[in-house]
Amino acid sequence: MQPRKILVVDDSKLIHKMFEVLLRQYTLVHAHDGLEALRCLGTDADIDLILLDINMPRMSGLEFLTQVKADAAFREIPVVIISTEGKEEDTIRGLETGAAAYIKKPFGNQELLEVIQRL
Amino acid sequence: MTPKMRTEGSDSTVDEIRQTLDRARALIAQLEGEQSAQSPAADNHVQTIERDREELSARLVEAEHQLGRLMNLYVATFQLHATLDPVEVQATIAEIAVDLLGAERFALLLRVEGDEACEVALSKGLENDLSGLYARGRYQGGDPLIDGALADGVLRLGPSDTSEVIAAVPLRVQEAIVGVLVVLKLFDHKAILRAGDRDLLDLLAAHAASALFAARVYANTDRKLRTLESLVQLVRGT
Repeated sequence: MQPRKILVVDDSKLIHKMFEVLLRQYTLVHAHDGLEALRCLGTDADIDLILLDINMPRMSGLEFLTQVKADAAFREIPVVIISTEGKEEDTIRGLETGAAAYIKKPFGNQELLEVIQRL
Repeated sequence: MTPKMRTEGSDSTVDEIRQTLDRARALIAQLEGEQSAQSPAADNHVQTIERDREELSARLVEAEHQLGRLMNLYVATFQLHATLDPVEVQATIAEIAVDLLGAERFALLLRVEGDEACEVALSKGLENDLSGLYARGRYQGGDPLIDGALADGVLRLGPSDTSEVIAAVPLRVQEAIVGVLVVLKLFDHKAILRAGDRDLLDLLAAHAASALFAARVYANTDRKLRTLESLVQLVRGT
């Protein structure tokens, strides 16, 4: 099933704007850190996919991901990490925490679209 | 029926069968000839279609790359001019450097009025810099690529034997060179600057400084306006 509503979690306004342009065919919900993203999940039951940055203020992407995967209500939502942290151990840690895919910034638009369509 | 009559009848049947077989052979030969004549044309046609398909695939990939580059430029320009808050403009420049160019270490140097030095207005990853060029938040000169970009306003790409700088992007406000964005290191997973990155560097050269200066001028004007309003209120109150 194609995702229709995507939660974008990133502290960069530039990235939010980029997703607005790139993912016009989807409904986007915006959060700027992990805490805000948890609130969005609590209030919006239709989220099909989460695009997640790692380095964010207040609550990091990995902390958020850990909480999401520990919650039965949200653990089935696929999470794609999109981060500048590009070392192999970063990728492994992200996938072991429960991410469905790991994309390194700067990313190619086609690469992101393919991952979203695949999930 | 006599035996002779039976033989004559059989002979004519055999002859008919022979004639039919001969005609069949002739038809087969004719068909084979036509097929072999058509086959090269069909093969050529298939090859042409295959070539067209490959060319279209290559053009599609190129168009997708071009679209991605244009989208990055649009988003970067939009965000640079979306605010008149100097802090937000600086944050946008940093986001362009990190998220779009893949810069792990960089510095934004702005000329100080009446001084040869530049202030380090913004930086990332300079905490452990060993060069000493950016000590105490000031750049006094010393890197040939940065000094060259500041002198003539031409983008410099490195690194070179005498400089670790990957890109020194001169920042212009109208004709004046007011600073330089220095990219010192890319992320390990981003090996080199690509063709699309050059467009982004040119965009930064043209837009980053003007956006930053417009925001600073606005902030100064706004502060002065508030001060004047306070003074007017004070005078009216007394």
